Amino acid sequence: MDVLNELLGGFASALTWQNLLFAFIGCLLGTVIGVLPGIGPVAGVALLIPLTLNLDPAGSIIMLCAIFYGTTYGGTITSVLLNTPGEAASAITALDGYAMTKIGRAGVALTIAAAGSFIGGSLATAGLVVAAKPLGGLGLMIGPPEFFALVVVGISLLVALAGRSMVRALISGALGLLISMVGIDPVAGAPRFTFGMERLLDGVSFVAVIVGLFGLSEVLSYRPGRNKVTVQSPGMRSLLPTRADWRRSAPAIARGTGVGFGLGLIPGMTGSVSSLLSYGAEKKFSKHRHELGQGAIEGVAGPETANNAHANGALIPLFTLGIPASPTIAVLMGAFLQQGLTPGPTLFAEHADIAWTIIASLFIGNILLLVLNVPLVGLWTSILKVPYPILSSLILMFMVVGAYTINFSVFDVFVMILFGVVGLVLRNLDIPLAPMVLTLVLGPLMERSLRESLDISRGDLSIFLDRPVTVVLLLVALAIVASPLLKLRKPAALAAEDPET
Amino acid sequence: MTSVTEKRPVEKVRRSVLAGQAALVAVGAYVLAESFRLGLWNELGPGPGFFPCVLGGGLVLLSLVWFLQERAGVQAAPAPEASDTSQVRAVVLSLLVLAAALPFIGFQLGVFVFLLYHLRLRARTSWVKSLVISLLGSVGVYYLFTLALRVSLPEAGLVPLNLIGL
Repeated sequence: MDVLNELLGGFASALTWQNLLFAFIGCLLGTVIGVLPGIGPVAGVALLIPLTLNLDPAGSIIMLCAIFYGTTYGGTITSVLLNTPGEAASAITALDGYAMTKIGRAGVALTIAAAGSFIGGSLATAGLVVAAKPLGGLGLMIGPPEFFALVVVGISLLVALAGRSMVRALISGALGLLISMVGIDPVAGAPRFTFGMERLLDGVSFVAVIVGLFGLSEVLSYRPGRNKVTVQSPGMRSLLPTRADWRRSAPAIARGTGVGFGLGLIPGMTGSVSSLLSYGAEKKFSKHRHELGQGAIEGVAGPETANNAHANGALIPLFTLGIPASPTIAVLMGAFLQQGLTPGPTLFAEHADIAWTIIASLFIGNILLLVLNVPLVGLWTSILKVPYPILSSLILMFMVVGAYTINFSVFDVFVMILFGVVGLVLRNLDIPLAPMVLTLVLGPLMERSLRESLDISRGDLSIFLDRPVTVVLLLVALAIVASPLLKLRKPAALAAEDPET
Repeated sequence: MTSVTEKRPVEKVRRSVLAGQAALVAVGAYVLAESFRLGLWNELGPGPGFFPCVLGGGLVLLSLVWFLQERAGVQAAPAPEASDTSQVRAVVLSLLVLAAALPFIGFQLGVFVFLLYHLRLRARTSWVKSLVISLLGSVGVYYLFTLALRVSLPEAGLVPLNLIGL
């Protein structure tokens, strides 16, 4: 009953016109990012953090969350209409989605994808509501040693983001930690790696680094196809699925929700894995599996539901434990921190009203996206008709604005450019960028909590073994790190195919 | 028939990968040296140099392991697709010039010239389109941020320019 009351309170706050407007703008921007080639959700969310700087914490996070799950809706449009996924998690949708476009059923594919995404996203958010209170109750048991152990669990997830080479993933993680250590040491107050520059005493701007690493390096390495893209926008009438389409999609949507939500809870699993496994489930269980690949509606309904259920499900570890399950969520966590909110058990203890407002807004955002996506499909496709040089020039301009407005300093623009070049070099060396984002966000938290813990115990490391919660969490981290040896992580074939790693 | 005990051939490591590994070792070594100067441990536990020391050492070690893996051809980095160097150079240099010029000529003029360069000179977009997009992207975005979002953007530091509101 408590949960219901708090959720209703959250709805009351989320339904104010300001918060509705933030959710609406976030959904629009997220969809645009999902549609745009050459800019992924990680850079997109980081790039738009400055837009939310002057907003109150709840409004700011509502907008960024809406941008985050808006990208998963937007990515579908290009997969279905162009056979080019706007973001990685929609890649598998292209198989049947584009085949449906070729037989004149693009509108149906987009409507079913939006409906599936809505159902998957809403059910996953309901899961967050159920999990929030019991896990949030942990907040009262959390001290610096437990917090340190939680952060260690988060950092251990870079094992799951390793991609092709564990060594190169660890190098990426180490670089992220090193970047996060620039500036004043959080406990002793000694300046580290500042090269005598006053501007570096506060560290390097997280947004500038992420925008450079993910956004600028993507623009630098992007090579548009030589063939001119022709986009057909489906008419309103062709958007309506038949009763048979709904009947065939229902089991796929149910399976997609289960797969996406389940995998979303497992940190390190990306949305691409969920949609790939959901497609696999359709191949195995669908009555029409022989039609998959030739325009079967199940091939759109399952993966699209799964990736949205995943996106919303992945917010559960963030909200309740403070563990970012994917690079995009790590950026979202950075935005929380920038607003003075620490995601995790203490969020519900210290800022319960804000947390419930954000959760309520997730339901509203999913409805907004359902309403926005299908009728506005003509608008989204018109974005795709804009020539790439115009898009890339405007994206570059927004990167400059994004980097500058974090601290109102041109220095951060230089930092962004530097990390853009670093990102390009790392891409060429096949060093994955995802582990770096994870450690960049979690590094300072880990160091501070470790050193605060040791301050409490006067340097005695046994403090981590005396507390049951800490011991359990450290064992979990150990299991995650050992998972490649125990073959518990995602299969190698998936890791190689997963563009998010 | 190849014998089971035959040694695997030593792979030739790409020059760019070697350069990357050398750079990583250099960064790791610098961090390691700096961490000793900062102090590794005090009576309350780890000092400011403790974490950097672990990371610097780790980075050197990992880079060496990577080098050995590349030589053995284990999990070697695939050769990257040839990048458009003229595009990289143009984007990076134009951004550097824009960043350096922003405090002097302000956001509106700086971004206007930046967009015009990319749209008209590089992409050969028509003059009218280039001018309209550059104006919207510079003056339009400036007023969107300063008036609607109340986020200030750089204004010109040079006297004649700031007098006309740039």
